[in-house]
Order: sequence, then C-alpha cells, then structure tokens
Amino acid sequence: MAAAGDGERLLLTQRLKAAVHYTVGCLCQEVEEDKDIGFSKQSIAAISEITFRQCETFARDLEMFARHAKRSTINTEDVKLLARRSSSLLKYITQKSDELASSNLEQKEKKKKKSSAAKGERTPGEKEAAVTENEDSNMS
Amino acid sequence: ERRCSSLQHKSAPFSCVTGQKQTFSHENWFLSPEEYETWDRLYRIKESDGIKEPVLPRTQFETLENLEEIPQEGAARELSLCEWSLWQSRPFPTALVGHSEPCHHFISAMEMMEHMRQEQGDCSYGRELQPHLCVEDVNIPRNKRHLRMAKS
Repeated sequence: MAAAGDGERLLLTQRLKAAVHYTVGCLCQEVEEDKDIGFSKQSIAAISEITFRQCETFARDLEMFARHAKRSTINTEDVKLLARRSSSLLKYITQKSDELASSNLEQKEKKKKKSSAAKGERTPGEKEAAVTENEDSNMS
Repeated sequence: ERRCSSLQHKSAPFSCVTGQKQTFSHENWFLSPEEYETWDRLYRIKESDGIKEPVLPRTQFETLENLEEIPQEGAARELSLCEWSLWQSRPFPTALVGHSEPCHHFISAMEMMEHMRQEQGDCSYGRELQPHLCVEDVNIPRNKRHLRMAKS
C-alpha cells in the first residue's frame, strides 16, 4: 500500500519535473533569441532542477507566512514576502500583484453591471454594499 | 530595548576576545574607548596592511530594473560565491547551525551539474523526463508551437 503510494508520488514528481523542464526550455529559448546566445541541454536541465527545488522552498515559506498571519489560505501578501530581500524584485512583484488586483476588480465590475442590468436598478443601499465589497477584495 | 542592546553586545566579536574583563556596564551601542583601541589595533584594515577591503557582491537582476545602486569599488575585494564551486557538491562541516533545506538543495544541484559535466550533446535528465511530459501541464505559445515541434 505504502509502496504503491510512493510509486504514485514518484510518477507525479516526474510529471511535474517534466512540465517544469519543458517550460524552462521555452523560457530559455526566448532568452536565446533575445540575447543571441545558446544554452546547452545540460544547462537547461540544471536550471529546471533548480527551479523545481526552489518551488519546494517557496511552498514551505508561503505556508509558514500564511500561518504566521493565522491564515490557512496563501494570498498575494505572502507571495510579496517571498520577494522581501530585494527591493527591485519586491517592486516588480508588487506591480504585478496590483495589476492583477485591478483587472480582477474590473471583471467583477463588469459582472455586477450585467447582473444588475438583468435584475433592474439597484437600491442605493445595495450599491454601497457592492462598493465596500470591492474595496475589501482590493485590499487582499 | 534594554534586552536588545545587550544582545548586540553578546554578538559582537569583542565579547569573545576580551572575555575575562568583559563587563556589560556601558549601555552604548558604540564601542567603548578600550574596545575601539582593540579594534583599531587588531582588526581594522588599514592602507599599510596591503590587503583590500572585503565586500559582498550586490544583488543585480538581468531581467528587472535595478533599484539598488552598485558602487564601483576597485579598491575592494569582492567575496566570491562561485570561485570554489568544485567543492560544493557535498556538505561542508557545520559547527552549531546545521545545513538548511535550501542548502541541501543547492548541494544536490551542484552534484547533478558535476554528473552532467561529462555529458556531450544529449542530456540524460531530459531523456528520463521526456516520457512523463503531459501536454495539458504546459503552456505552448501559439506562435512557437510549430517551431518547437520542428525542433524536437
């Protein structure tokens, strides 16, 4: 039973590693075209193995950060904490996170408009509730 | 705050060196005149020493805008983290602090690279993983799709 579980786990690991390896290959190809250099297959393999292992470190840290904030769900604030050591990296990640938050907000707004158009006009109280809800989601 | 400053003292190198006559009487963060004298005589790097001041390399990102300014110090000796890479495929001895998980990952990665060093052309890592690749796991850019198919 345990052996079968281990085997399954190994297969899942291999599958994930293969996906990371392929994706790293694609990203390296972009860099190749951009910088006019070449990566050996071995260097791509090394980068993907490092990436795979880094994910383990990230996952563990994210879990701890969330737990530190008494949450069981990892959110964008935890991801920002991963980048805390470098202000350049932190700025980049924060920017991406803000972009994501605002596009999420836009989509929600669109959905709301659609649904409110279907239901007819909202009462002022309902409108206010919708605004505070949006502000909350913007905060997280 | 008091506890904080006493910690500062304990972690300073002088607490070990001047062990016997160490008193935590001064409440300052700064060195006392005696401590300053010891530092100046034994540890401070001066021009007459003929050695360069050691500095740690600064983080720089190839793909991001760099916010930290990198001072160009020719007179300093930048401490290298890759000069002894051949030694890094096994764990170095420890004293009080064990190796962390990320450290072990690093060692394994160095070991893996050591193994692949002899390989020419085809890569054993890729060959081993190839059969496990599921297309639904990866994102194939539309414009690259035919290109990658032709390559592989």
